[in-house]
Amino acid sequence: MFKDLDPILHSQLRLAVISLLISVKEAEFTFLKEKTGATAGNLSVQIQKLKDAGYIDVVKKFKDNYPLTTCRITLDGVNAFGKYVESLKSYLGN
Amino acid sequence: MDNSIEQEEKTLTEKESLLLITDMINKARNSYHDNGIAAIMWGCVITFCSLVMFAQLQFNFKLPFSITWLTLVAIIPQIFLTIKEKKERKAKMHEDVAMDYIWLGFGICIFLLSHVTGEIFENLNEAAGSYKTATGEKFPFLFNEYVFPLFLILYGLPTFITGGMCKFRPMFWGGIFCWVCSIISVYTHVKIDLLLTAAAATVAWLIPGLILKQDYVRAKRELKEQHV
Repeated sequence: MFKDLDPILHSQLRLAVISLLISVKEAEFTFLKEKTGATAGNLSVQIQKLKDAGYIDVVKKFKDNYPLTTCRITLDGVNAFGKYVESLKSYLGN
Repeated sequence: MDNSIEQEEKTLTEKESLLLITDMINKARNSYHDNGIAAIMWGCVITFCSLVMFAQLQFNFKLPFSITWLTLVAIIPQIFLTIKEKKERKAKMHEDVAMDYIWLGFGICIFLLSHVTGEIFENLNEAAGSYKTATGEKFPFLFNEYVFPLFLILYGLPTFITGGMCKFRPMFWGGIFCWVCSIISVYTHVKIDLLLTAAAATVAWLIPGLILKQDYVRAKRELKEQHV
């Protein structure tokens, strides 16, 4: 049914992360965790998958001696998200 | 929409996908609420300075210092507020960079304008002195009548842009109010100009700041209730 939909995005948590990142310039890991309500472990795995697909950039640094992970959507991610939404629209249209 | 997303590969229907996207976009958009403290502070400072300057002219007294120095003092808590706010924010919005530059540019323009008008004042005072000596009459051009319209034009610009970009109507109209006051103040006495400046600062910053503060408190309370 959804064979044309991007399998990377067609997952609840990854889609949630991309939807959050499309709305902001960049977001900290804790922001994504808070908004999605996912566990840190699960979120880390999904973020890595999005990063491997080239849809997001992940920057790891330290802030006040604590690790800080910041995520930002890439141009490929924006395009993939746009395509995904267009596909969804066409399915709903049918 | 369920608050937690735990199932990694849960199959989504078209509607569920769209609902999830809408929900997350709304969550991201509503994630930041300005607490309005900076707007309240600057609204108070400019209103207070204008009213004190008005009182000096109206009741014929002079403070041992210029009350406008208060605007320089207010920069210190502003820097502190900006650093604290940036530290606390977990997500940066697309318009944040533009906003930072707009308000920084505004601050620079205000100080440049203060300097330029100060220089013009000094030169005109000299010219006015020479004119009086030569003709025995008062200098026919009063530059101070035209200083406040210039500042009001400047006050309106970042306020209008911020209101428009953030879709925050009170600030949008506040910016327009500054420009209306600017036009009026061209034709009014400097005392009225000062009252107009006080009114502009109240409408453009103080009132929107109070509205922002109210929204911020409400949003924080709602967030607390969601987590209980």
